[in-house]
Amino acid sequence: MLEQEIKTLVAKVIKKPEADIDPNANLFTELGVDSLLGVEIFAALDKKYGLDVPEEKLKNVNSLNDIIALVKELLAKKKQ
Amino acid sequence: MTDLDTSGYWRKRLALDDPLPSDILKKYRSLYRFFRPIFFAIMNLLFGFYCKEKVYGIDNLPKPPYIMAANHASSLDFVAVAWAMGKRKEELYPIATKLFYDFGFARFWMKVAANVVRIDTVEDFFPALRAAAQILRAGKAVYIHPEGMRSNNARILPFRPGVGVLAVETGVPLVPVYIGNSWKVLPPGSIFPFPYPLSVTFGKPIEMGPYIEQKKTEQAYDVYKNVAEELRRRVISLQEELQAR
Repeated sequence: MLEQEIKTLVAKVIKKPEADIDPNANLFTELGVDSLLGVEIFAALDKKYGLDVPEEKLKNVNSLNDIIALVKELLAKKKQ
Repeated sequence: MTDLDTSGYWRKRLALDDPLPSDILKKYRSLYRFFRPIFFAIMNLLFGFYCKEKVYGIDNLPKPPYIMAANHASSLDFVAVAWAMGKRKEELYPIATKLFYDFGFARFWMKVAANVVRIDTVEDFFPALRAAAQILRAGKAVYIHPEGMRSNNARILPFRPGVGVLAVETGVPLVPVYIGNSWKVLPPGSIFPFPYPLSVTFGKPIEMGPYIEQKKTEQAYDVYKNVAEELRRRVISLQEELQAR
């Protein structure tokens, strides 16, 4: 399942147990992710799914759910 | 190689594989550079005679490209370093945040002193890194303050890991620099400098080879942070060596 795959990847990048990641929690203010680690999440997604995440999109992403929505949007665009 | 090796992404973001525009350095070449010899002649009086600036380790400077990273305690820091470098100051392209650059009076003096690069560190992280990477690819040196702000005292603040990204992904050496007493010479809010003894110490370059190797087995983020932390340790060592002199 895509959602679970993304959660596993994010947990690996930010070095936190999956169970500790509330999908709605703010990664930066609640889960201690700094801006560079935030970029690293997208770098890992870029590598796994071959996505080229536009730089301006990164500013609007704050939670795991935001990431999942963005990945789905980009994968859908990629298929078109 | 770790499955979290994100070099490909960073190379894209830093445009390291894109053709380098032939006029990239012209873009930053200041129109006011004709005033520069006069400006540094005046600085010679300030640093050479009034503050009796001491320069250590100038032989440690490698050939460009390199990243020069100094502690930041006063708005005269870059000028003190440039003065210490003599003719070699022309190879330096300092990165300045828009906060200062967009202030007209400061901008004029910045452009007289150097071929300064304006960046927006808050909103435009990638363009800032790309600009720095292009200067390095053009064979020049980038000058930064990795603390990201002035400490206004002798304390050295934590270094931001962006310096690690730039150094590891471009593979150029990092030159640690310690500027001593600048916060006493020109504290915040002062216009007229005080005659405290100023010093600039250039440390031995930190080569990126071992970190590039480390990135093959460790998460890139950790390696970037290691570079920033090692750089800070080297700057603190220079500070301690100076105090022991």
